[in-house]
Amino acid sequence: MEQNNKPVKYDLTFAREIYSLENGSYIKQCMQCGMCAISCATREIMDYSPRQLFNLIKLGKKDEVLQANTMWHCTSCCTCKARCPRGVPLVDVMHDLKKYAIENGYADYPQAAFYKAFWSEVAGRGKVFEGGVTGRYYLIRGLDEVKKAMDMKDVGINMLKHGRLPLLPPKKVKGMGNLKKIIRKAQELQRKEAR
Amino acid sequence: MKYSFYPGCSMEATAQANLKSIEAVASALDIQLEEIPDWNCCGATVVSGVVGDFIQQVMTGRNLAIAEPKGQDVVVGCSSCYLSLAVTNKRFKEDEHFRALANQALAEGGLKYDGTLRVRQFLEVVINDVGFDKVARRVKRPLKGLKVAGYVGCQTVRAIPYEFDDPEYPVLMDRLMEALGATATEFPMKARCCGSSQTIPATDIVIDCARKIFDSAAAGGAQVIVTPCPMCQLNLDAYQQRVNQLHGTSFNMPVLFFTQLMAIAFDLAPDAQALKYNIVSPYEALATYGASK
Repeated sequence: MEQNNKPVKYDLTFAREIYSLENGSYIKQCMQCGMCAISCATREIMDYSPRQLFNLIKLGKKDEVLQANTMWHCTSCCTCKARCPRGVPLVDVMHDLKKYAIENGYADYPQAAFYKAFWSEVAGRGKVFEGGVTGRYYLIRGLDEVKKAMDMKDVGINMLKHGRLPLLPPKKVKGMGNLKKIIRKAQELQRKEAR
Repeated sequence: MKYSFYPGCSMEATAQANLKSIEAVASALDIQLEEIPDWNCCGATVVSGVVGDFIQQVMTGRNLAIAEPKGQDVVVGCSSCYLSLAVTNKRFKEDEHFRALANQALAEGGLKYDGTLRVRQFLEVVINDVGFDKVARRVKRPLKGLKVAGYVGCQTVRAIPYEFDDPEYPVLMDRLMEALGATATEFPMKARCCGSSQTIPATDIVIDCARKIFDSAAAGGAQVIVTPCPMCQLNLDAYQQRVNQLHGTSFNMPVLFFTQLMAIAFDLAPDAQALKYNIVSPYEALATYGASK
């Protein structure tokens, strides 16, 4: 098998792209010690631990990285971030990977739908109405997910009974027009910075 | 003692008990909380994952910019909001390039933030500015004999590690419970994750995390769990029955905001205790301490 004798080639295009994200360059500081993996609340159900994911990025394994559930299972508990001996802000790196995955069409995980629903709510109202986020989430996910939710209806009914689920949204932010202008400008600056 | 106050979205919905008890306890301790006018969502742990840290921090910065002219410390009641506000504030203070860019965006709304404020948690203000002694003196009905598991959760102590308590094994909320006359129990899982906002997209994660937390609290002999965090409170309270159904357990552990327990010990009105919002009924465990409907 001739090809086995060829040196392994690494395609650094993907890695460079990830390093250029807001917190992406921190990935280069990772020394593969595994502190994040043993600290993680959801490691057992992750496809790859954060340490492994960072290594895959270095190796240019774009599909493996972007199809992984790792970043979506991060709960932002900050245990790995607080413990990392190299000061990698893992939670913030995960933010970048989620954003990058969504922008590149890797958004099949239910968490991606939840994130998008949450952002629509904030961008439209300036505040989050939990009922609104839930509604938008099920609109994105479709009927199957609604069926699953029906299994959970006792939880919802209990919350309603105890006044935990107001049916009407809170008032919009009064300065919503200004907030939208601020966000638009911030997005413009973010694009400029990324160049 | 006067502070600017950032309530956050959950206090208008799932965590109304948090808001009511915070306001009542604050007033009982001469803490004046002035709500930041027309505040907006901090983005929690989610918005950054869609539009990036910069956008989230600019949005969060709008709240700090509105609060800055008063010069008062900004007090936050929600752990997730605290994470967002504290990290944003730190960035405004320490990262000049970020500050300049963020202020270019804020200028579109006629705002500017120079990073001069302190962002603090209500729990930390009670501990450091009021102090355990003053809290103990305010107690009307000591919670003698009540065994409390202090569930501090994640972001309270790990947003900015070592800011006011140990990020691995925090103890100060336990001392606060002792100032109320209660007994703080051994609770190794006190700073582990509850599953956070996976509640909707991946409920199994929350069920699994919650199970481990209940196990740990029960092993320490706790009768109730207290927490400063709206997300932790919701997950442990609303999904406890679900944990029991799926794991064949029989936990019956009321989960209160620490401020609700303070309101009980201070003998404040039922509205301040806000116990009607609790899904796992706290009345039985707290009957002898004057918990009222």
